[in-house]
Amino acid sequence: MNPAHEYHQLQNRRQFFQGAGLKMGGIALAQLLGQRTMATQATTTSEMHPALPGLPHFAPKAKNLIYLHMNGAPSQIDLFDYKPRLTEFFDKELPDSIRNGQRITTMTSGQKRFPVAPSKFAFERCGTSGIEMSELVPHMKGIADDITMIRSVHTDAINHDPACTFVMTGSEVPGKPSLGSWLSYGLGSESQNLPAFAVFTPTVKKPSQALFTRMWTSGFLPSKFDGVKLRSSGDPVLYVKNPPGVVPSDRRAMLNALGKLNQKTFERFGDPETQTRIAQYEMAFRMQTSVPELTDLGKESKATLEMYGPNAQKPGTFAHAALLTRRLIERGVRTVQILHRGWDQHGSLPADIKNQCMDVDQPTAALVKDLKQRGMLDDTLIVFGGEFGRTVYCQGKLTRENYGRDHHPRNFCMWMAGGGIQSGITHGATDDFSYNITRNPVHLNELNATILHCMGIDNSRFTFPFQGLDQRLTGVEEAHPVKAILA
Amino acid sequence: MDYSFGMSSFRLAMGLCLATGSAWAAPVEFNRDVRAILSKNCFACHGKDAKHRKGKLRLDAAEDAFASKKGVAAIVAGNVSESELWARINSGNPNEVMPPPETKKSLTAEEKQTLKRWIEQGAKYEKHWAFIAPKKSKVPAGEGNPIDAFLQRRLAKEGLKAAPLAKPETLVRRVYLDLTGLPPTPKEVDAFLANKSPKALEKLIDNLMQRQTYGEHMARYWLDLARYADTHGLHLDNERSMWPYRDWVVRAFNQNLSFDKFTRWQLAGDLLSKPTLDQQIASGFNRCNVTTGEGGSITAEWIYRNAIDRTSTAVEVWMGMTAGCAVCHDHKFDPLSTKEYYSMYSFFHSAADPALDGNKLDTPPILRVPRPGSAEKLAALDAKIKAVEQRIASAVVKIKYTDPASQTPLPKTITKEMIWIEDAVPPKGVAQGNTPWKFVSKPDPVFSGTKASVREAKGLSQHFFTGANPPLPIESGTKLFAHVYLDTLNPPKEIMLQFNDGTWEHRAYWGGDKIDWGNKDSVSRRRFGDLPETGKWVRLEVDAAQVGLKPGAKLNGWAFTQFDGKVYWDKAGVSSTTHPAKDPALSWTAWKVQAEGKRNKDLTEALRKRFKGKAPDKWTEAEETELRHHWLARVYAGAQKELTPIKTEKANLKKQQADIHKNTAVTFVMADLPKPRQSFVMLRGQYDSPGEKVSRNVPAFLPPLPAKPKERDYNRLDFANWLVDGKHPLTARVAVNRIWQQFFGVGLVKTSADFGTQGELPMHPELLDWLAVQFVEDDWDVQRLLKRILTSHAYRQSSRATPASLKRDPENRLLARAPRFRLDAEVLRDQVLSLSGLLVSTAGGRGVRPYQPPNIWEPVGFASSNTRNYKQGKGDDLYRRSIYTFLKRTAPAPFMTSFDAPSREQSCTVRSRSNTPMQALQLMNDVQHVEAARNLAQRILNADGADDNARIRWAWWVVTARQPDATEAKIIENVLADHRARFTKDTVAAKKLIAFGESKADPKLKPVDLAAWTLVANLLLNLDEVVNKN
Repeated sequence: MNPAHEYHQLQNRRQFFQGAGLKMGGIALAQLLGQRTMATQATTTSEMHPALPGLPHFAPKAKNLIYLHMNGAPSQIDLFDYKPRLTEFFDKELPDSIRNGQRITTMTSGQKRFPVAPSKFAFERCGTSGIEMSELVPHMKGIADDITMIRSVHTDAINHDPACTFVMTGSEVPGKPSLGSWLSYGLGSESQNLPAFAVFTPTVKKPSQALFTRMWTSGFLPSKFDGVKLRSSGDPVLYVKNPPGVVPSDRRAMLNALGKLNQKTFERFGDPETQTRIAQYEMAFRMQTSVPELTDLGKESKATLEMYGPNAQKPGTFAHAALLTRRLIERGVRTVQILHRGWDQHGSLPADIKNQCMDVDQPTAALVKDLKQRGMLDDTLIVFGGEFGRTVYCQGKLTRENYGRDHHPRNFCMWMAGGGIQSGITHGATDDFSYNITRNPVHLNELNATILHCMGIDNSRFTFPFQGLDQRLTGVEEAHPVKAILA
Repeated sequence: MDYSFGMSSFRLAMGLCLATGSAWAAPVEFNRDVRAILSKNCFACHGKDAKHRKGKLRLDAAEDAFASKKGVAAIVAGNVSESELWARINSGNPNEVMPPPETKKSLTAEEKQTLKRWIEQGAKYEKHWAFIAPKKSKVPAGEGNPIDAFLQRRLAKEGLKAAPLAKPETLVRRVYLDLTGLPPTPKEVDAFLANKSPKALEKLIDNLMQRQTYGEHMARYWLDLARYADTHGLHLDNERSMWPYRDWVVRAFNQNLSFDKFTRWQLAGDLLSKPTLDQQIASGFNRCNVTTGEGGSITAEWIYRNAIDRTSTAVEVWMGMTAGCAVCHDHKFDPLSTKEYYSMYSFFHSAADPALDGNKLDTPPILRVPRPGSAEKLAALDAKIKAVEQRIASAVVKIKYTDPASQTPLPKTITKEMIWIEDAVPPKGVAQGNTPWKFVSKPDPVFSGTKASVREAKGLSQHFFTGANPPLPIESGTKLFAHVYLDTLNPPKEIMLQFNDGTWEHRAYWGGDKIDWGNKDSVSRRRFGDLPETGKWVRLEVDAAQVGLKPGAKLNGWAFTQFDGKVYWDKAGVSSTTHPAKDPALSWTAWKVQAEGKRNKDLTEALRKRFKGKAPDKWTEAEETELRHHWLARVYAGAQKELTPIKTEKANLKKQQADIHKNTAVTFVMADLPKPRQSFVMLRGQYDSPGEKVSRNVPAFLPPLPAKPKERDYNRLDFANWLVDGKHPLTARVAVNRIWQQFFGVGLVKTSADFGTQGELPMHPELLDWLAVQFVEDDWDVQRLLKRILTSHAYRQSSRATPASLKRDPENRLLARAPRFRLDAEVLRDQVLSLSGLLVSTAGGRGVRPYQPPNIWEPVGFASSNTRNYKQGKGDDLYRRSIYTFLKRTAPAPFMTSFDAPSREQSCTVRSRSNTPMQALQLMNDVQHVEAARNLAQRILNADGADDNARIRWAWWVVTARQPDATEAKIIENVLADHRARFTKDTVAAKKLIAFGESKADPKLKPVDLAAWTLVANLLLNLDEVVNKN
């Protein structure tokens, strides 16, 4: 038996005992324990999915989280970590004093040379804040004053699989809950008709690194805290569509009968789980309406659609996912995650990263602006970044126009915006080679602690007992939110 | 409130009047009697948790409780009046009394007496209960089954009573689901209900445990622990071949392999003396962990990680301990030190598998597991091969050979032929083509031997092979030849021969230039003339030099290519001119005097070894004859014409053997490196920070290993033996508890993966220990244990809960009623397959791919992963039991994950049991469930029900094993009428619904009827009563 599950069972029972509502025919139990909302009428989902007692720990700045994960590790050197001195070092050996014997992957550890590859892209100081961004992200330049750029994020893992697992679950070893699952578990759901945690995995043009379902599943927490993947082809939510030939009124008739029969089962066995099941079937029925409504963009204005770019209405694209993300947040979904693949540029970086940015730059900027214009940015937290960074030295053949970069966990850039986070600041710095952090390092555990803080959670007190340990998203060691970037 | 720890004014007064009266006291045991009292009332403030500790006092550790602070000790052994604890719990002063009033906790008089007697008897603390070997306490008088005796004594103490027996129809479904994972058929229900014998249940249990389905069901739980899956789990997450291990687990349960053997084989089957096939397969347990093949991974890190996974899994599965903490630091709560952890790790640290899995299906060490019957086939082939070899040998003896080198005058140059392709692809050649090679025999055109290959095609088509070994050597002046026969009625437009010496860029063609491979008029595409005459055999010859094959080149492949038409091919090879006396293929002397290296290439491995470094003048006469015969058989060109047909026969037999080997299943097995790795404590759990050296050993708080053998170090087999020697305090308890959990939903120890001090104390400690000791005394007989549990009243009683019983015991730990819970993912699916009649009971084999919505694998997979694209199976593959579903770790099937099945990335001792809207959507709309509903509907309509009412009653009976009451039947009747009315108005919709799924709707049934009943069946299969064990 799983303690979390049990907690929720207890909750169910408690609500069952304390809840108000329905007449259950002649059931002694119902009379004894008071009444309860008729399962076949609207029930509040908090009944099925309440926040843990005592949570949030303090008033949250952000109610919702949007996590834009650039899978494969985007090059900080070509996007956000401007290093003007590198041009002098073109094709020169990375100084030993910089590399300092650091571990490198076996993909480049056999290289005879580690020649410096300056970014070929022009940088600019943007907005009044002057945050530096490259020409690859022209639209993001427009939101510079809304974000905090962190240039000093670092992680433990050097390869994709462990690093992706780490960035999303706080552990390199599979089996831990993802960030979104933790939030669902702790803060519960606010949507009556939609799951608390939704995930998009847009399709990409080139074959690329894998994603892992563990990046949005619930690990040792009960599976009801899994992120629900919204799909670009077929049903947006698995099995949400009725079988061929079956219309909603058929389902309604079937569910009416099922509800009555299950009610009788409840009378026979007295199992509170039966009541929960009745409610879940009703939620499922509502989702059959709410999910198609969610994906119907008919009511979006032309201006909005244009803001997200030419792909806004094309399922499977990042732009479409970004627009749906806003719609999900509007409908009370707690956490939305978009995992965009294809950022692992070991070679042909300049051409490939440009393509990647074409996918995400405009919709990302649009999402921030859109939330802002609707007044939703204040209580929505947005995080943008990958699982690690990339090396200043070239992998493979180096020319001024073309180069590749290997994995670099020692520093990379992420940005955050919205509820709880300052606008228009840059935090942390790296050396002239973007190889070592020189100021204000932010470990991923601290970043996660910061995210939790914005959501009203003290990471040190947000635990779950598993394998003899009070497990935390932020690991065994203490991790503190990054105060300097908090609003 | 005064939390300070000082002298209480109350103590002296109380001490006097309570100092006597201990003589009558029965011995008090700390774990049994005292710990729970302290735990409930004191440990929150005086326990392990330093953060919340008050008055710097711990009562959970003896040294702390006995320590005198400012002259006062909480407990003074043997002296109640000097013990501050005693004073405080009896204090009338609200500022002093413990527990403090605001905690709303208080001790009963009985609890106080227990504490008093314990102090008087010396206040002996005991080791953590689970680290002390279990003892059988006396079974309380009363109920026949000891399980009930223990449970009912406790119930009586609580003022409760066990529930009455469940109705037989409830019980029979419960037992079938619990033992086989499948519901009973109506016939089976009838049979059980009709059997009034008191032994009926026992008989049923015996019967069910004999079934294949029992093994399959039991194995499923174990596979969660073993973290079994069909992919590597990391990075590409490619397929791995591990399923013979899964099938072995099924077999082991079916054979009721005792748990000690089951343990030994899995942890150390490879180390048993002369291990059987099964014992080796079982050792694959240690290889079920996730592995990576990601480029850039660091070898040392993965050797470390794999060993950590294996260690922690073994410790969790057999010792019920979560050792993970000790990877980085001494276990905060359990006595396991980091050093001890790494001493156990050392047993697993020398595994012979590579750090990276190579993304292969067969990462070594592997075992090839023959399919049933293949051993006999191989033996028969062996005999045939021996016979053929005998024929070759006798043919060789009969060869009348005169060495041309011994002739005078020496013979002139001659043309010799070496036939490469005759009736078969040459040895080791892998036959390929647009369509497979096709051979014909007479009366079709055959030039020589017994067969010719043939191809009839439109446009470009070919058959070819690569990888032939030995290769075909090209010498100076070599000509390549082949025989061709063009069909008169359907001649080709072009024919082409292609030769592979590593590349295919050597092509000769005849006729029209229709095939545009290579460059025209170059070695990669040269014309050798017009098409030969049709309707007769023609020899084609190609000068090797003209297609760019230089002397020394070696061919491994050959292609017969054509454009349109029908073409027969036969005998092909090379010919060359040579001086017989100087040619090692014609002159024995010439062969013999070659350098050893040149001779060697014609020798077998065995001969090469024997004749290594031995010049011809050192050969004995017998050796010379032996080699000469070998040469005649293998090398001498003059004998080839005669020998080739026999040799081809042999090659064919060898190929059949190879095919059997190729179709043999591969499974990962465990093996150790010949030279073990030195293990170290890894500081803070970092793979690159070795600290102190460690050697193989077990933790000090557990019984020791037997003395180390003189000739070798301890190994995994010692470790396994230690676990199941019957003295280990954890093994049997942990195993018994998991089985209890399987049937009751919660273990006797709720934290079934954690028997350490952080885990929950056993709910019924004496019962747990009795079962554990009995299990060992029964020689670890699993079926006997199961039978004991299933025949208990606790198991057979009704699961009905009342408001009072829910309030009293919400988690049902006292078992005053039977448990009721949702069926597991696999059982839910298997149940509907079974009820619908779709279930295919075929056992074992490579994982199959049933229905799965699109885009489960694809969005997460690497482009280069061989499990990126889900290719749904056909026919039977859709309806096999769920245990046989291919399990991809990074994207398990939704029917599994939605219902809490683990991804098998790590060992899972207990699944959670969620209740979600996603589950409802799946059970209502998934094609598997809808198709099953329609098939169930067909069964209902084809059963001999007289009318709707009879059909409803029958259907209800099938899915629940009981008759519906009038209300239930009426509800169904109404909804059936609704559906029927709707589909009568919309027959198109009805037809659409019944066409869902691969199986075809019964054409004899009216679509409207079938559709309406399909929705009714869909409803029945979604009943809470059906998705639960009741």
